[in-house]
Formats: sequence, C-alpha cells, structure tokens
Amino acid sequence: MHPRLQQLQYLTRRHFFRESSVGLGALALASLWNQDRATASSKTAVVSPLVPRPPHFTPKAKRVIYLHMSGAPPHLDLFDYKPELVKHNGKDCPQQFLKGKRFAFTSGVPKLLGTPRKYKQYGKAGIWMSDAIPRLHEIADEITVIRSMTTDEFNHAPAELLLYTGFARQGRPSLGAWVIYGLGSESENLPGFVVLISNGVQPSGGQGCWGSGFLPSVYQGVQCRSKGDPVLYVSDPQGMDRDIRRKSLDALKDLNQWQADELGHPETATRIAQYELAFRMQMSVPEVMDISKETRQTLDEYGAQPGAASFANNCLLARRLIEKGVRYVQLFDWGWDFHGTGPNQDIRDGLTRKCATMDKPVAALIKDLKRRGLLDDTLVIWGGEFGRTPFREGRTAGGSILGRDHYPNCYSMFLCGAGIKRGYTHGETDELGFAVVKDKVHVHDLQATILHQLGFDHEKLTFRFQGRDYRLTDVHGHVVKEILA
Amino acid sequence: MIYRLVGGTALLLGGLLHLTPANATDKPASATDKSANVADKSTHAVGQSPIRFDREIRPLLARNCFGCHGPDESHRQAGLRLDVEEAAKRVRKGRQAIKPGDPNQSEVWKRIISTDPEEVMPPADSERALTAEQKEKIRLWIEQGAPWGQHWAFEKPIRPALPATQTPTQHPIDAFIVARLEREKLTLSPPADRYTLARRVALDLTGLPPEPHLVQRFIDDPAPDAYERYVDELLRSPAFGERWARPWLDLARFADTKGYEKDLQRTIWPYRDWLIRALNADMPFDQFTREQLAGDLLPQPTIDQLLATAFHRNTMANDEGGTDDEEFRVAAVKDRVDTTMQVWMGVTFGCAKCHSHKYDPFSLKEYYQLYSFFNQTEDADRFDDAPKLPVPTLEQARKQAAIRVQLQALQEAQFAATVELKREAQQWETQLRPKLDQPDTGKNLPAEVLQALKVAEDQRSDAQKQAILRHVASFAEATSEIRQAIQARQAELKALQIPEVPILRELPPDKRRPNRLHIRGNFLDSGEAVQPDTPKIFPPFPKDAPRNRLGLAQWLTHPDNPLTARVAVNRVWALLFGTGLVESQEDFGSQGQPPSHPELLDWLAVEYRDNGWSLKKLLKTIVTSQTYRQSSKLTPELASKDPRNRLLARGPRFRMEAEMIRDVSLAVSGLLSRKMYGPSVMPPQPDGLWRSAYSGAKWETATNEDRYRRGIYTFIKRTTPYPAMATFDAPSRELCTIRRINTNTPLQALVTLNDTAFVEMAQALARRMLLEGGKTTEERIAHGLRLALVRPAQPEEVTILAELFAERQAHFAKHPQEAKLFAGTTTPTTTAPTTLPSSDADRAALTAVANVILNLDEFLTRN
Repeated sequence: MHPRLQQLQYLTRRHFFRESSVGLGALALASLWNQDRATASSKTAVVSPLVPRPPHFTPKAKRVIYLHMSGAPPHLDLFDYKPELVKHNGKDCPQQFLKGKRFAFTSGVPKLLGTPRKYKQYGKAGIWMSDAIPRLHEIADEITVIRSMTTDEFNHAPAELLLYTGFARQGRPSLGAWVIYGLGSESENLPGFVVLISNGVQPSGGQGCWGSGFLPSVYQGVQCRSKGDPVLYVSDPQGMDRDIRRKSLDALKDLNQWQADELGHPETATRIAQYELAFRMQMSVPEVMDISKETRQTLDEYGAQPGAASFANNCLLARRLIEKGVRYVQLFDWGWDFHGTGPNQDIRDGLTRKCATMDKPVAALIKDLKRRGLLDDTLVIWGGEFGRTPFREGRTAGGSILGRDHYPNCYSMFLCGAGIKRGYTHGETDELGFAVVKDKVHVHDLQATILHQLGFDHEKLTFRFQGRDYRLTDVHGHVVKEILA
Repeated sequence: MIYRLVGGTALLLGGLLHLTPANATDKPASATDKSANVADKSTHAVGQSPIRFDREIRPLLARNCFGCHGPDESHRQAGLRLDVEEAAKRVRKGRQAIKPGDPNQSEVWKRIISTDPEEVMPPADSERALTAEQKEKIRLWIEQGAPWGQHWAFEKPIRPALPATQTPTQHPIDAFIVARLEREKLTLSPPADRYTLARRVALDLTGLPPEPHLVQRFIDDPAPDAYERYVDELLRSPAFGERWARPWLDLARFADTKGYEKDLQRTIWPYRDWLIRALNADMPFDQFTREQLAGDLLPQPTIDQLLATAFHRNTMANDEGGTDDEEFRVAAVKDRVDTTMQVWMGVTFGCAKCHSHKYDPFSLKEYYQLYSFFNQTEDADRFDDAPKLPVPTLEQARKQAAIRVQLQALQEAQFAATVELKREAQQWETQLRPKLDQPDTGKNLPAEVLQALKVAEDQRSDAQKQAILRHVASFAEATSEIRQAIQARQAELKALQIPEVPILRELPPDKRRPNRLHIRGNFLDSGEAVQPDTPKIFPPFPKDAPRNRLGLAQWLTHPDNPLTARVAVNRVWALLFGTGLVESQEDFGSQGQPPSHPELLDWLAVEYRDNGWSLKKLLKTIVTSQTYRQSSKLTPELASKDPRNRLLARGPRFRMEAEMIRDVSLAVSGLLSRKMYGPSVMPPQPDGLWRSAYSGAKWETATNEDRYRRGIYTFIKRTTPYPAMATFDAPSRELCTIRRINTNTPLQALVTLNDTAFVEMAQALARRMLLEGGKTTEERIAHGLRLALVRPAQPEEVTILAELFAERQAHFAKHPQEAKLFAGTTTPTTTAPTTLPSSDADRAALTAVANVILNLDEFLTRN
C-alpha cells in the first residue's frame, strides 16, 4: 500500500478509537494518552499537532474565556475595600511602605488615597464590591474573588508577559498556546485559540501575550476582528466570488494531486487539505463573527451592536466562539491604566464610565453561559496584569483628578464557572492595602490553577526546548485548592 | 464525522511532517526519530563492538541522571555527581557508583535494576525511564571497563579519513553519506533533472528563481562542469547576500523597533546592509565574528567595523514609564551573552544565569565571567539608544563633505576682521560701555567677551580683540548675509538625515562597572566579584589575547574551539537540507541530539576552517555533492525506512521560508524590485494592525517600487510583525531564533490566496502571461507555469488551467464590473508597457489562473 494511504488509514483508525472511547471514563483516556506518549516513537511518526486529546486527568473546564483589562484596573476602587485607608485619606504615605520600593511614576512621599467609591456586600456570601460595577453585583453568587493576587512586575509589558507566558520577557509560549498544545483543537473550521481586542489598542505585551513562543506556530492565538477581515486574509479579493474560489481550488487540487502522485510526498496531501480547510474557514469565520443573527434581547443584554467593535461585542463573540468549539478565547480591553492623567483616568467619573462598558457585558456573558448550561465547564477569568497603589500617583498628585500608580504587590481578580467556588472571597490584604496578609496567590499559582481546571498537572505539561523541559509556570506555581468547589 | 476525520487526518500529516524537527524531543505531541533509531542499532550492534561513551552512554546519563546528579550543586542529591569521571568512580563508604569492569558492584547498575520502588533509579516519579536496551548498554559499558570521555561536541573536531564505500564516490560528502546508506542497504537516489536542480540551487543560494536565460544555458550546456559554472554564477549574484542575510538576521534578532510596550522605531537598517555586503564579499567567518562582536575594539576601526557591532545593539530596549534602565540594560547584556553562545557555540549557556547548568558543565560563576566581557559597553537602555554612529550613504557622504567645505569657508568669512565689522564692533562697544557695570549686561555676554571689554582697548591682547569681534560677528549687519548662508548650509546638512545607528562602545577605564555574579540571576542581588573569562570545559582563553570582547572573538574562532565551526556548518547544512546533521541546532550540549553523520560534521567543520572560513566555498562544496543533487522522489521503501530523510537517500524537499515565498512570487509575477539596501519598507498589510500602546506610529504602505522589494527589506515591528510572513513562521525577532519551525496551516493558504500583496502578484503575472506568453491561451498558461516552476509545463497541467480560464472568461465576460476589479491594474515591470491585446475578462480569468499557479504545492516548495 502507498505509505501515505497507510498512514491515513492508521490515523483514521486511531482517531476513531479516540473518539469512541470518550465514554470509557477518564482513566482509560489518561492511559491511552500516556500510552500514546510512550509508544508514538516506535509505532509511527504521524501525530497531529491539533488533534483533540485528553489532559492528564478529568477536567472541570473544557474551555476558557479570559477577560483581560489591559492597563490594570484600580482594584481598591472595585473589589478590595479598605475603610482604614479611607480614614487616612490624604495623609502622607508611611515610610515603611515606601522603603526599598520603586514605582513607575511616583517618587518622594505620596499621599494616601482612600477610595471615593461606595462599597457594599453582595450575594449570599457577602462579596464586597464598589458602586462602579453595579451589574457585577448581580452575579456575586457565581464568582470567586481573589483579593490576594500578586506579581513580580510593575510595568505593563513585562507584567502581561509574566501573566500569560510565565516569564517577564519575550520568547515563551502563552497560556492559550499551552492549552491548545495540551488539548488540541475541537473546532473543525475555526482556530482553537482566538484573541479579541477592544478599544483599538493591543495589550502592552504585544502579540507575545498570545504567541506560541518556542512551540510550533500552529498553537498561537488567532486574532479575530470586528472591523476589516474578521481573520486576516479570510475575505476573498475584490471581484472573486465563492464559485470562482471553489473552481480555482478544484483546479489547484487537481494539479497538486499530480505532484503528489509524481513525487509521493505526504506534505502535498496535507497542503491540499489545508486549502480545503481554508475554504471552509472563509465561510465559518464570518458566520461566527456576525452577531446580527442574535436576538434583540441578547444584544440588549450584552449591550452589543452589530457592526461595532466593542468589548460588549467581544463578550458576545466569546460565547459564540466557544459554542462552535473554540477552546480558548482571550479578550483584551484597552483603557484601564488609571493614572489620573486625564478625566477618563479618574477613579470617580472616569471609572464609572469605563466600568459601564464592561460590567454589563461581563454580567450578561456569565448569565448567558449559565442559561445555556455552558458555565459548568467554561472557566471565565477577569482581571488585569497588576494592581494600583493605595496612594495617589506622583505626577498627578497636585491636580484634581484622582489616579493611582502601578502596584505589583497586591491586586484583585475574579474567576467563575468550571469547578470554581460560587460566591466566595479568597485572600486578604492588610488594612491599608499595601501587602497580602492571607492566602497569597502569585500569577504562577493562578496559571497552575487554570491548567488544573483544564485537567493538567502544570508540572507535567512540558515542552523540551534547548535541552530543558519548559512549562508555563517556570519552576513555580501551586494550585489554589481553596477556590475549587 | 467523516468529514472531520478526513480533514483532520490530513492536517495531522502536515503537522507531523513539518513539525518533526522541533518535536523530536517533545514528548506529548510527537515521536522520536525513527531513522535515528535505525542509525543507533546498526552503528553499534549491542554486545559486539565497544560501547562509545560520548555517543551512547553520556546522553543516557545526561537525560536520566544529571538532573539530580549533575553539574548543578543546588539540586544535587546524595552528594553524587555522574557527569565527572572521577566523582562517578570514587569509592565512597566502600561503595562505588560505577566500578569499572564490574556492573554488579556498581551502585548505578544495582539501582537501575532494583525492583524496590524506594531504591530504583531513575525514580519512579521522575518521568525518566531506561528501556531494556539502554540498560543493557550501560551494563556492557561498565563491563567493558566504563571508559570515560568528553561529550563529543566539546572535543576539537579532527579531519576524519573518508570512509570506504562499495559504490565508488567522487565527492567527500558522498563518501560519508553513501557509507552510512550502505549499512542500511540503501543507495543515493538518481540525480534530480536539470530543471529541478536549477531551481533548487538558485533558491538555496540566491533566494530567487533563476533567470530563464541562465536556466536555458545550463540545460543546453553539454560541458561536464556546466553545473559548477551555473553555481558560480549564482554565488556571484548580489542576491546571494540578501538570501544568506536572512538566517543571520534571525540570529541577530534584527528588527526596526525597540520592543516592549511602545515598541518605538529604531534606525538600525544600515547594519542589515553591512551584513549583505559582508556576505556578498564572502568575508571570512573569523573576521565576520571579530567585527560584529568587537569592531569597536579593533585598531582604528572603520565606519563599517563600528557599524558591524550593531549586531549586539539589536537587543530590546524598554521605554515604558518608570522602568529601571539598569534592569533592562542588564537584560540586554544577558541577551548578548546568551545569543553569542547560542549563535557561535550552539550551547544553552543562558541556563546558567540563575543556577549552574543542570546538564552541561557551566557554572553560575562562569556565566558571569563571560557576562563580564559584555558588561563594559556604554549603552544603558537609554531612550536615545546612545551611543550611536552616523552612517552616511555614499551619496550622503559626498553631499556632507561638499557642504562642510562651504561651511568652513563661510565661517572663516564671518569672523574675518573686515573694516565694516570693526566699525560695528566699535559702535556696539560705545553703546554698551555705560551699561557695562549693570548685572544684566554681564549675564547676556559670554564670559571671555565681558572680560575683554573690561580691559582698556589699547591694552587688549589679540585673543581678546578676537573674542569681541567674533561675538559681534554673530549679530552684526556686516555678516548677516553670511550668517544666512551658514544657516542654509546647516539646514541642508540636517536635511540629509544621515542615519544614526546604535553601536557598541567600550566605557573608558575609569568608568568601568564592577563585575559581579547575580545571585539566582537577580541583578539587584550581587554576589562575589568575577573577572572576564571563558568556561573551563573549553580550551583556555588565548594567552596573547586581550581580556575583552576582541579577545573573546579570537577565542571563539580559535582553531582549538571545538564548536564554532561545527555549529556554523551545521546551520548551513540545515538551510540546504531542511534539518541539521545535528538536528537540535540550538543545543550541541549533552541534552542535544547526536549528529546523524558525526564524521561528516567534523569533516565539514575542519574543511570550513581550513578553507579560510569561506561561506561561498563551503556552499559550493556542499551543493556540488551528489547527495545534494539527488531527486527528492519518495519511494515506498524510503518512506518506511527513513520517513524523515535523516539518512539522505533522497534529495531534500521542504516548503520555502516566509521571505522566499514573497520574493519568488514577486519575481515570477514580474513585480520584484531589485533595489538593494536602505531604510526598511512597508508593502501592503491589512489595515488597523499597528495599535501599540502609547505610540502613534503608523504603517504607511509604499506606493512606489518599495511596495515590491524583497522580504528582507520589510519593516519589522516586534510587537506586530508583518503578518503574511509571521504566518509562514517568520519570528518576531524579539530574541535570537536559531531555527524556524516549519508549519503548514490553513492560515497560510489564506495569505497566498487573498493577501493584497499576493493578489497584485497574480494580476501582474496574468499580464506577464498575456504580454510574453504568445497568442493562444494554452501558450500563455504554459508560459506562466514555466516561469513559476522553472520547467516546461505538462500538457495535462495546461489543460486543467485552460479549462479554468475558459469557464472564468465566460463568467467575467458577463460580469464586467467584477472582471475589472479582479483584473486590477498591477502591471509587471519586466515587460515594456504596451496596449494589452485583451479584454478585462481575459485579464481577470488569467488572474484567476495566476492565483492558482502561485499557490501550487510545487511552487511553494523548494524541491
């Protein structure tokens, strides 16, 4: 038999076996997976980079929606209520908190800044939230708020890279890429890892935040856009229609088949298949990106508008994408860098306005996922790359606009769905919000926890590069068991 | 379901075939190298010949034992290390880890075969394991006296004797390859036909398809050295430097921006031009090394030698608010250390920056000793990227010199003590005199003028008189015309916009930084002081060499250096064959893969060094071998025996790299601009991509010939690399990339089908077919195929495309608007513009044909 056909047949059988064994339980799957790892070398050289595969153990989460607020939201004005700080508002920041520390835009002795926002407890668990995020109050019983996040970096780009790649410099694979590397892609006609960006600016960490680093580039995130081509180059050129495209691809296929028969290289067969897949993507991508078919009610709930490029649209798109089998959807929303250098960066009105574009669609997304039964196995994460200082930012301290500087030592975020506790607050910072005093969660711990929910032991999801087994959590990371239901 | 199986399966195949280079060591997703297994077995049938420590045992120990019993003292278990012979064989408390000749008294062997889960090694939970065959090898090796030896790659290569082969071979390379094949009862494939060969070697050497007339001459040339002369012609082409600059630019992490958040523009393209010129001039690799690592330390360095040092100024710089410049300066210096050791010596030395290397004998201290060589340059992550070197082009230099001559004459004229000027000076002094004692007056005058004025006029020295006169000349009526002329000249100088390129410059001796070890890699946590030195495992630093970067460059290219030549030839081999002789090009250390043909690697390394480090000679040696010239046809036998072609029983065949796909498509369509050098250019890319934080930089699509330049000139913004090339695996150039991982994805199909740049190429190719191809549709299509594939078209191929044409022509004739849009207006530059003997429908239908041609597997593949 022709070797290519042999390989095809072998693969097909194996693929079928894999598909049909889904019901056999995690144990069987895990052993199959391990067996594959062990024997792939001797049996065949044919293994797909994207074929769906089970993780190390039964996962709680089958997919992830990560909502990133680029710039770092002021957590002290959203989730981490510090009445003592309010009491000391306007006083000089005590020396003990400044000694040996560097801040991005603050030197000398800054003034403490108690939140001007009103705080209350919400939901059965009494989760503290400010009045900036009224719609999130409604989903208090669905989420776990972590108030004890901490990172090592106080500039946007390195902090984002640390968060998404486990390392503060460029060159390593991103979280989404690790997930697709580990799990493959469920989607036939869509990328497994999609990135959506709102407010026009990509995150400071650049494409490294969804890059594949040293992993093969098939694992990198694919940016889908609301304006222009929904995926780069997915639209046919002017004057080309579907019929011409089909006929052209048929001619191409015939000619490539000649080449395949002539030289016998399996890559040629692959190329033929990739062109067919591209053709299908040209249909499926615009379809999934077109939200106009959603009901009026849904659109209103999210605050989404067909044709616009907004965070609300992206939240709705995230749901549409995961419904179609996309495994990991990463949103970046620009405009959370609340230094106080302009009215939009004021933690009073500016924050109210910014939050209004965020809390409604996020609440809608979580409710929508729940209604559709997707929240049970979809992990939703909300947060920024670090926190903001309990004092006023140095450059703007003399003005009337209230802003805060970058602060890596503590910040807040929330998670929900897929085996995360519902209605729970984890960790604490001290009375003035300068340090974590209970249940510190480092970004490496967050990464370990996300991978854990997806069924991975973060120490075993590795890739050998330059003679070393690399992993997302570098040499760190502990699963935060306390937040798991 | 069925659909998915078929589609998914084919996808797999592609992934597999293209991914294997990277995945051979990647446990989850892939498979080890089948042909390498074949190789292992046949080379050393177990139990027959002596086991070779460096090739067979050391890798096993390294992978399974060194993690806990290796060079890294902080993770060492039970105080035992197995990477050093003396330690491994030492008697400790009456026991020996390895007792030569006696496996049963060797603790290592006892632990390996132990059934006690507490005792067994490697430990059950370590994810390490030895196969039965590997265990047997270790046993035999101990039995044979456990002979030790250095890791193969750390020993100096010695020119090996050519192996004897049953089939006679003409070329040394073939002798090594055939000898190996004969052990598997395989032979070389027949030579590729001349067309295939003409295209293959042209793509490899110049990155462009060969000129049709050169191909024809080669095809028609009956002389035995026809191929050799064809190769010489390609090596002489200026396109050679452009093609071979590409891989080096990946190593140099060359880009047009600084990286990180703002990712602002940086003028460093003159370095790229230096590189192209150096490669075209076949600059010997030792000189090439010296100039890039230490051009500034050479005696009386030329502008070019200074410019070469920009190699290490391609490190990123962080302009984010509030960053600590020292933190990012240190990061850049570490990048230089890591990159140097990766590029020249193929070792993962960077691992030792936080802790001693786990597998190779590099200590934390040694890392910072090497770091010390690079720690003394002036640059310090400053916003202006200083120090910088003005690098005028020839044209600019000429203009600059002319203006400077004029300026000098004008300046002399301005200060000449003319009668008018003297009179004005006198008047000025008279008016000023009553106010001379007021403090304001003093403030507005230069000190020496004020001083001169305080001296009585007849007692002033010449210098004092001169000072007053010069001062007055700066505003006097008498000099106003001259001053205007000076200003105009100065404006002209500025308008030249002479690029200023960041370079390396050593700090003066009194400003040197202390060299200290960074504990756990943290620059804020300094440890003991260290001196510049190279790792002990390698030959010593040359005695007569200076302890600076220049000495380091000499050490790297010293004949005793075991790695530099091997790593360099392996890189070249990988570019020609798709895979290096050492597949892990980035790691020649104990964790890397052993070479498929060790003797050939050494032969090439020694040959390269002995030929005067000439890249062109090395290339000519390789491409004239029968191994290189074989047909790539895959037979069922080869597919099963050696699916990844590690044994090279057939010719290499792989997808073209990103830049090559662009360049070849442009060339075939007749659009390619052959303009060389200059600032990076912006060909069409989709709108709305450049959206970096806090940066207003814009992509301004070129509308002149810059739209059609070679890919090497495309502007690279690190946080948003040119997407068409990134899709074909071009790296972001943030860090040194040793090898690109070839992938095969549907997104790539979308680029070559739909990207504006590629649509324009199809439109131009359609016109080229019309203008040059002949009168009939068939002739025109055959012409297009011949241009693209560099071979005569087959009638069946023409028929398939002619059918597409006819069908499309009929469609477009009915839809004139679509036809106009699809045919576009892009015209090739290869043919004189004439009135096209065709309709929009013809042009549009041929554009559809051209679009297919530019997407053919054969076209996208270097075969």
